[in-house]
Amino acid sequence: MEFFKANIQLGEVFVQLIAFVIVFWALKLLAWKPLLKGLAARREHIQGQLDAIEQSKKEIGGLKSEYAAHLQKIEEEARLKIQEAVREGRQISREIQDKARAESQAVFEKAKTNLDLETAKARITLRREIADLAVSVSERILKEKMSDSSKQQEKILEIIDDLEKSL
Amino acid sequence: MSEAAEGVHAAVAHAAHHEAHELPNLITVLRQLFPDASWAKFLHQWENVLFALTAAILISITAIRAARKQRLVPEGIENFSEAVVEGLEAFVKGILGEQGQKYVPYLGTLFIYILLMNWSGLLPLFKSPTSSWGTTLAVALATMVYVQYTGIREQGLGRYLKHIAGNPSNLFGLALIPLMLVINLTVEFLAVPLSLSLRLFANVSSEDRLLYKFAELNVLFKGLPFFFQLFANVLAIAFSVVQAFVFMLLSTVYISLILPHENHEHEQEGRPALHVH
Repeated sequence: MEFFKANIQLGEVFVQLIAFVIVFWALKLLAWKPLLKGLAARREHIQGQLDAIEQSKKEIGGLKSEYAAHLQKIEEEARLKIQEAVREGRQISREIQDKARAESQAVFEKAKTNLDLETAKARITLRREIADLAVSVSERILKEKMSDSSKQQEKILEIIDDLEKSL
Repeated sequence: MSEAAEGVHAAVAHAAHHEAHELPNLITVLRQLFPDASWAKFLHQWENVLFALTAAILISITAIRAARKQRLVPEGIENFSEAVVEGLEAFVKGILGEQGQKYVPYLGTLFIYILLMNWSGLLPLFKSPTSSWGTTLAVALATMVYVQYTGIREQGLGRYLKHIAGNPSNLFGLALIPLMLVINLTVEFLAVPLSLSLRLFANVSSEDRLLYKFAELNVLFKGLPFFFQLFANVLAIAFSVVQAFVFMLLSTVYISLILPHENHEHEQEGRPALHVH
């Protein structure tokens, strides 16, 4: 008991107790509450910002996949259009070829017809000329009938030469 | 008590109280300079209270200033005070769970107040109020009252009384009520404040005595053991933190023990428990 009495002064304990309680209440009201509230508000703010970032990331991810899908679609459409264009090109080329072939065939046919006509015309002309020639030869043979046979032969050869020159 | 016995007691008390076992502080110097002045005697009598109040005022001014300047991006002292507050909050919540938030102001004040009082003995012409049992007992009594008040508030008076009676659930438990009452009342109202206050008082006063003895050796051997004293100072700084931390840790554990167990256990699910049941 002597130890207790020597080391403990009840007045001091009481005053220290009151002082501590006052300090605690003062700090609780004026320091702890605002500090903890401030920290909680900042934590909430940071969490809100982080959530917003996370949300933005998700949105960006969604937009990215949407963009990729859109790009894929565009590429697909472009491929289809190119294929369509190639197909159309081939079709046009085939048509042009067919048309050209038909035209050339027509030109050929026409030329052939013209050629046949010209040939027929030439034949008629030739026939007429041959007929005229035969008449003329006959006329000259008949005129030269009085001369000898060697002379007749020479005359016929001369007439043939004239004919070749005129042709 | 007879007059002679009172005289002896007063002499013992005076000798015990005024024995030079600490470095001199401002008030002991004033007392030596003005031995007959009543104000010096008064100051000397209340020196622990005065140094404790100095620590309390310093904490209050710093904390209130820090709390007033709340900004999104803290600077200077705000950074420091917020780091301390956040650390204490995390520690208390680590033991008590989310419900520990409301006990942070008390336990935090306890830690900072005790730490500053412990450290103040290291400053020239100051002393540690916690080297006096009166100071540590006052803080321990406040903690005991706070813990019991928390128990009544959180459990309700009926469950609190049942807890004090040892939570009897059968006839055997009912028969043990008197024994459990004695044990629990002794533990809660005597052992807790005594263990808290004596541990802190003994450690801090021992540190102060050690520093005093090293200072004495320095005078005797002309500064030769200076580095030993320096080492002791570093140790005193570290042990002061440890003692303040132990006081707060034990107070947190006492609060944890007095809280309704089912809620507490429910909150503790999914993380490592720090129970001392």
